[in-house]
Amino acid sequence: MENKELQKIWKNLDVKTNQKSKDELNLLLISKTRQTINKFTIVIVTSIIVSVGLMIWLIITSVNRQDDLIYLINNLTLGILTAISFISGLFSWYKLQNYKYSQPLSNWLETRIKLLTKWLTGRFSKSYIYLIPFLYLLTVLSIHVYFENKSFIEVLNTEESIIGLIVGIPIGLFVSYYVVLKIRKYQLHNLEFLKNLQGRLYKLDE
Amino acid sequence: MALLKNEFLEILTNYQGILYKVSLVYFKSKTDREDNFQEIVYQLWKSYPGLKNKSSIGSWIYKVSINTSISRIKKQRRIEYKENIPELPDNSDIIEEISKNESLQLLINAIYNLDEIDKSIMLMYLEEKNYNEIAEIIGISKSNVGVRINRAKKILKQNFEHLNHGK
Repeated sequence: MENKELQKIWKNLDVKTNQKSKDELNLLLISKTRQTINKFTIVIVTSIIVSVGLMIWLIITSVNRQDDLIYLINNLTLGILTAISFISGLFSWYKLQNYKYSQPLSNWLETRIKLLTKWLTGRFSKSYIYLIPFLYLLTVLSIHVYFENKSFIEVLNTEESIIGLIVGIPIGLFVSYYVVLKIRKYQLHNLEFLKNLQGRLYKLDE
Repeated sequence: MALLKNEFLEILTNYQGILYKVSLVYFKSKTDREDNFQEIVYQLWKSYPGLKNKSSIGSWIYKVSINTSISRIKKQRRIEYKENIPELPDNSDIIEEISKNESLQLLINAIYNLDEIDKSIMLMYLEEKNYNEIAEIIGISKSNVGVRINRAKKILKQNFEHLNHGK
């Protein structure tokens, strides 16, 4: 088979591709943009509703329980951690959505690998291990103590409350860890794929 | 903004063949190809305001198309390093006529056997891009491009001939 023969065969494709008109391409772009904006809106709006809802809860309950110092510390800690998580979550989402596709494949792979490596193996990558139970415990205590109509210390000294917390917390924690570990596993798989691709790309340059 | 969009759509209309072909070598099913085409259009539009060198529009389109396609393969978890000859793609869309051209059909099937990087490099080789352009788009050295093209060409020819004899 001649060297140029493959190119000659490939040229047959040029006459066979159905070209879209300018209007069709415009409609396609509009529909994709709407779809992406909708996805973005859902994530942002859900995060805002959850975070703002929790903040409102923390403010109202704190105002009603001004005399319970431990309860106030519990709510304040929860509020600060929620605000930090919300802001860093939004920032990460923005970064993920805005990395540049218009660079050479090798640079694109490098940027993507750096980003994922930082998330998955960086300094704060394992923070979820202690952050999830801590946030979960603070949230459960904030709600439980408030509806018990007792002080924070009194609730923790009640046998039923302790049993309830011991039974309820592991279930919630199991669900939370399961979801987070699933996402991490998926992202680690992606990272592995990208590293493999990068390795193959540079193999001949070394 | 309207002027910018009009200019962008004009370019897209003239260069859409690249989008079709990149989608074709990376995705076998019609739905995946259409989704990928749409995603590339969106990513091109997003990066269009930052395009400084309007003389290298083709390279820019290749870069965005290849990176978007690889990103979508990853997302869809369809990373397969096939050892067997794949089945023929469905031929109900842009390549509906391909089924009438056996050689072209065999060539496309042979391309499916290449890995993700070699698919792009071979596509550009078949499109008669020079080594410098391919090196710039992929971001590797010219000599690396040469070695890869020769190696991929050999695999492609073997696959092509294997498919041709087996038909």
